[in-house]
Amino acid sequence: MKKKLLFNSKSRLADIIHADYRLIPILGRFGIEFGFGNKTIEEVCIEKEINVWFALEIINSFHDSNYFPKKSLQNFPAKLIIEYLSNTHDYYLKVKIPEIQEYIDKMERAVKPENYKNITLLNGFFSEYKEELRLHLENEDQHVFPYILSIENALNQKIIDDQLYQKILTNSIENYERNHEDAEVKLNDLKNLIIKFMPPVLCKELCQNLLIEIFRLESDLGIHTNIEDKVLIPKVKLLEKRLLEIRENKL
Amino acid sequence: MKTNYRIKKVVIASNNYIYTLGIKTILSVIGIKPELFDVESVDELRDLLKEQIFPLFLILNEGIFNNNIEQTISEIKRISPDCPLILLKNSQTIIKTNIKWINYDENQSDILKKLDNFFKEENQKDPKKDQTILSDREKDILKEVALGLSNKEIADKLFISINTVITHRKNITEKLGIKTIAGLTVYAILNNYIDPEQEILNSDS
Repeated sequence: MKKKLLFNSKSRLADIIHADYRLIPILGRFGIEFGFGNKTIEEVCIEKEINVWFALEIINSFHDSNYFPKKSLQNFPAKLIIEYLSNTHDYYLKVKIPEIQEYIDKMERAVKPENYKNITLLNGFFSEYKEELRLHLENEDQHVFPYILSIENALNQKIIDDQLYQKILTNSIENYERNHEDAEVKLNDLKNLIIKFMPPVLCKELCQNLLIEIFRLESDLGIHTNIEDKVLIPKVKLLEKRLLEIRENKL
Repeated sequence: MKTNYRIKKVVIASNNYIYTLGIKTILSVIGIKPELFDVESVDELRDLLKEQIFPLFLILNEGIFNNNIEQTISEIKRISPDCPLILLKNSQTIIKTNIKWINYDENQSDILKKLDNFFKEENQKDPKKDQTILSDREKDILKEVALGLSNKEIADKLFISINTVITHRKNITEKLGIKTIAGLTVYAILNNYIDPEQEILNSDS
C-alpha cells in the first residue's frame, strides 16, 4: 500500500481537512470548531489548550490505517487519553448511533408493506446492538475510567489508600480486559445482512446512506478499540504495577 | 448468428505471419469481426493480459512457446481465468491437460467447426453457483440455532454429534458472513426458514 504522508504540527488545519475529510468528526472530539482560517494545527491547539502532539497522533492514526504509534500514545497521561475516549463515547451515543437509527426509522416509514417486516427485523437487531454498545461504553465511563484516573492520581501524589489497594488486588484492569468484548462483530453482521441478504427496498438512497454510516462507525470503533486495548490497558497495567511496588516498599 | 452481437476481443499470439493471416481469414469466414490484438511472444501476451479486465479470446500458436507449453498455459490461465483459449499445434505435440486445441493438419470443416464452437461455447457458460446458498442440512441447523438451541441440544435433536454441529455452524458462518446468533436469526426470518411467531412461542415454553 502507498504510504500516506503524515501531518505535522506546522500543517494547516484547513489543509488537513481538505486532504482527508474523514477527520472532520475528530475535530469535534477535541472541541475544535470551524473558522480557523489558515492557522496551523499547532496554533489552533495552543489557543484551545489542546496537547498538539496527542492531537496529531490521533489525527494521523485515523488518517493512515498503517500508522499506529502505540508506544508514543502510551506516554501521554491517562487523563488525556481518557478525556479523548469519553468524548468519543459521547460522539457515538449522541451523534452517530441516533443518526443510524434515524436512517432505519426513515426506511421503516418508506417501505412497502411486504418489506416492512424486514426493516423491522433490522431495527430490532440494531436496537439490540445499540443497547450492548451503550452498556459497554457506560461501564467504561462510570467504572473503568474513574478507576484508571484514581490510579494515576495516586501515583502522582504517591498516596495509596487501602480501598484502592484492595481494588488493584481484586479487580485490576485485567478483569476489564477479559470482559472487553468485541463491539464490531454485530456491526459486521448487520453490514452483511444488508449487503448480501436484504430483499430490494424502494428507498435505495436511504439504504445506501445507512450502509455508509455503518461502515464509518465501524472503522471509527476499530481505532477506538485499538486505543483502548493497545494503548490504555497496557499503560494501566504498568501504572498498577508501579503503584503496588511503591506500596510494598513503604510497608 | 448470435455470437455477432457483441464485438469480441481476440488475441492472436503467433510469431508466424502466414498463420496469423490465416487465422484472421478463418475468423471472417465463420462470421466473426473481432477487435484484434497481435502479439508475437509469451512475454508480450503476459503484458497485454495484465492490462485487460475484459475477457479476451486467446488463439495461441505453438510456435511462441518454448518447451514448456502446458506450464506456460496454466500460468496464463492463472493471470486471466476469464479468458477462453485455444492452442494451434502440430499433431505430434501431446497435450495432457484439459485445453482446447486444433492440429495444423485437420481438414477445413473440422477447423471451422472447432473455432466456431470456441466462440459460441463461452456464451453458454453455466452461471457460477451461488456460494451463499446453504445446503438442506445447514438450513436445518440454522433453524435450530435461530430458535435458540445450544449445540448439544441441536446434536440430540438431529441425531448427530456435537462436532458435526460445530462444523456445520462454522460453514454457515463462512458462507453468510454472519457470526452472531442474533444475526443468524434475522437471516433465518428474512428467508422464512423460521416463523417469528413460533420463536416467541418456543421461548415462552
